[in-house]
Amino acid sequence: MTTDDTTQQLPPESPQPRRLLRSRSDRVIGGVCGGLGRYFNVDPIIFRIGAVVLAFIGGAGLLAYLAALLLIPSEDSPAAADAPAGRHRWLLIAGVIVLLLVTWPFLLGGGLLLAGILVPLAFLVAAGVVVWWFVSGEGPGDDAGDIAKRAALGIGILALCGLIAIAGAWAAAAGGESVVAITVIVAGVAILVGAFVRPVRWLVLPAVTLAVSAGVVAAAGIDLDGGVGERDYRPASAADMRDTYQLGMGELVLDLRQTDLPAGDVPVGIDLGIGEARLIVPDDVCVATDAEVGIGEARTFDRHNEGVDVDVEDLPGASPDTTRLVVNADVGVGSLRIGHSGADLDLDRGQFDRGHFDFGPRFGDDLGRNLACDA
Amino acid sequence: MTTSDATWPVTRSPDPTSVVAGIAVLALGVLLLLDASSTLELSFGVLAPVACAATGAILLASGMTRRR
Repeated sequence: MTTDDTTQQLPPESPQPRRLLRSRSDRVIGGVCGGLGRYFNVDPIIFRIGAVVLAFIGGAGLLAYLAALLLIPSEDSPAAADAPAGRHRWLLIAGVIVLLLVTWPFLLGGGLLLAGILVPLAFLVAAGVVVWWFVSGEGPGDDAGDIAKRAALGIGILALCGLIAIAGAWAAAAGGESVVAITVIVAGVAILVGAFVRPVRWLVLPAVTLAVSAGVVAAAGIDLDGGVGERDYRPASAADMRDTYQLGMGELVLDLRQTDLPAGDVPVGIDLGIGEARLIVPDDVCVATDAEVGIGEARTFDRHNEGVDVDVEDLPGASPDTTRLVVNADVGVGSLRIGHSGADLDLDRGQFDRGHFDFGPRFGDDLGRNLACDA
Repeated sequence: MTTSDATWPVTRSPDPTSVVAGIAVLALGVLLLLDASSTLELSFGVLAPVACAATGAILLASGMTRRR
């Protein structure tokens, strides 16, 4: 018997089926698109672009990616090495069925309730994985258990950061900015020392969160001194007026239409943390305004400014026999409105729908003109 | 190995991500303290670029560390 004979007697070797595995070498997040590209012999960038586009159209791309991340094994995982081809094929079929079940409402444009739950959940899981990746250096992982565990840990850190952000913002707004600043500095020193002794990278995200939340409060100039709620002031004369009307959070209305104001300069201050401040003045009063709004809008008569770090400086002069109201206003987050009759549209409580948060007169509502000032 | 060798800790290189993150957090803390002491008036025009630069530096250091 020759060697050729022996060879001819052996059964022909069946070709190995291609296996869909997440790529280890060509990956941006979990190697799903890299694996798909290799499986279909297509440039993976096509799958990546498709996933991003679908992620923005109803979130289907994100869900599909997440499902693929959970179902398709990584090429260097033990599951990929041990699993026989037949089992792998069934796993792939099961994965496709799950994918279709999960994504059909989005692909068909329906399932709003499902979308309302699953899309935020998918974003949350993705955010959790990314956060844990940054904190620990452990990527998405090779199997569903690892991914779920790391996502849960990352979500836990995110929740902790949310609490820290709220606590830091509240503390800074309540006058404890120095305490928050020192806490951030101590955290920075701990992270720096830890770099040489034992890294504490888990502390970075909470420390940055605390610093940024307190920084936003400081930049907006939010100050919760003065309490929370609604304040409605209608002083009878200039003697009854306060130097500064202060409110931490809520709605502050200062109505001077019935106030007996002398000729000349009458200073008044408005200090609001978060909410809406409205100043209503008589038609024969000239108003000079120096105002700052951290985030929001400032409307003074026919002038309108909005955005962040809004500065309004409008200081016209007035004749000596005219009342000139010199307003110094500071609003952290919200709106400031100064005007004549138009600003009191919702002062009559009966005509105002308190069921929703209303910023008062809309843009375009007539706040009058500052005509009592000299041109 | 001598006795003195045994007492000295093993020299290890610092974690670059932690160094950058520590400096960034420290800078943010100092900025807040300056604002609290009225030495500096913090506005969004200052905070936004500083916060973005700090976050970017940390992510950059983290990414470069991971690639090594």
